[in-house]
Amino acid sequence: MPKPRRSRRTLTLVVLVVISLSIISLDLTSRTHSITSGIKSVANGVYSPLRGGVVDLLSPIGSFFAGALHYGSVQTENEKLQAQLGALRQELSEKSYEDTQLRTLVALQHLPFLGSLPTVTAQTVEVSSSNFTLTVTIDKGRSDGVDVGMPVVGAGGLVGQVVSAYHHTSVVQLLTDGQFKVGVTFGDNVTGTVDGGGPGSDLTVDLVPPHTPMHDGEELFTSSLEGASFPPGIPVARIESFHTISGASQATVTADPIADLSQLAYLDVVQWEPAPSP
Amino acid sequence: MSWRSALRALLVIFVVFVVQDTLMVALRIDGAHPDLVWLLPVTAAIIGGPETGAIVGFVAGIAFDLVLPTPFGLSALVGTLVGYTIGVSTVAMDRRAVWLRPLAALIGSVGGDMLFAVLGAVLGQQQLVHVNVVAVFAVVAVSAVVLVLPVNRMMRWALSPSTGRLTLVPAHGPEGGLW
Repeated sequence: MPKPRRSRRTLTLVVLVVISLSIISLDLTSRTHSITSGIKSVANGVYSPLRGGVVDLLSPIGSFFAGALHYGSVQTENEKLQAQLGALRQELSEKSYEDTQLRTLVALQHLPFLGSLPTVTAQTVEVSSSNFTLTVTIDKGRSDGVDVGMPVVGAGGLVGQVVSAYHHTSVVQLLTDGQFKVGVTFGDNVTGTVDGGGPGSDLTVDLVPPHTPMHDGEELFTSSLEGASFPPGIPVARIESFHTISGASQATVTADPIADLSQLAYLDVVQWEPAPSP
Repeated sequence: MSWRSALRALLVIFVVFVVQDTLMVALRIDGAHPDLVWLLPVTAAIIGGPETGAIVGFVAGIAFDLVLPTPFGLSALVGTLVGYTIGVSTVAMDRRAVWLRPLAALIGSVGGDMLFAVLGAVLGQQQLVHVNVVAVFAVVAVSAVVLVLPVNRMMRWALSPSTGRLTLVPAHGPEGGLW
């Protein structure tokens, strides 16, 4: 092979690698992140309607095959859901009085109750576009009041947090993503940090003092520590297992998300931002 | 560079991108779905050589980076390296061999995913290495072997201009030939 050709292709490789590294550097630097974020936002604005059209076109075909394959289980699940719906309707009518009392008490303690915070209801349009991240894309963006850092709830509890907000869509990092962290509280004012374990793994609860009294199934809520990234009181997870290794500086605790992350068709984005540090 | 080839290659990248983002992400086995992104540089490299593979890998990576929550440019970097490496590794091989494309697709796709995870972790995205490795690599490997043929057919169409050369770069040597 002629030498000039080899050196030219090496030059091409070097140029492309340098451009890639420069783009990564721009994206990871907070001062210039807005440039790459803006490019992504414009691209998503152009591409989202097209994607929606393609999905609308293809979904009946996919649903046909999925329905044919899972007809029995779908029918059984439907019957179970009908029964649950009836029970929940009855429960709801009984709880309205208790809810009123709870809201009053919370207001007296000056705690922001999630019910009083404004929310934006969004529909999930895509689930995890990568094998390496646990995210969902929702059909609401900056033009609807959604912004980066806002908590997302649904399906019974905390679902995640907005990590990218474009004009008409946003990306929500699920609490099971390996990069997700949230401060929690449980029991007698015990605090800890829930870390997403990644696909197929349990959540882990870090920074819990050794031999802390707790029990299986105990619920963890977002903490009300100053500067927290989430409003307090959102149900996050239930303790699945716990123990303290002899001599360890913290308990080993695993937990399951309270929210049913397989049911994310509709979500609420809580329009809440952490109070600025004094 | 032939503009016609470049435009066709862009069209193929766009079609594969839409198929990946709409159909493939819905085909999940144990949480993992097929990953077509690396098949673009792999097929381009086999057809057009290392330089073409690297260019297609870079452009395809940028396109996928637009919808991924991972650092912008990471897929472009991995795509470039996958395309170049597959091109260099296969340059001396008989490119008409039936086993070459499936094997290159398997190695390129699994290697691309591994590199993506490791480089991502180096860049602070620790979640990229906290995945069900067996499921991801198994699904990606099997789907790459199966889907490389249609992707290869599209890429061959894209890189086959009227001159009969299958590359995006000017030919001065044996790589410009029609395989």
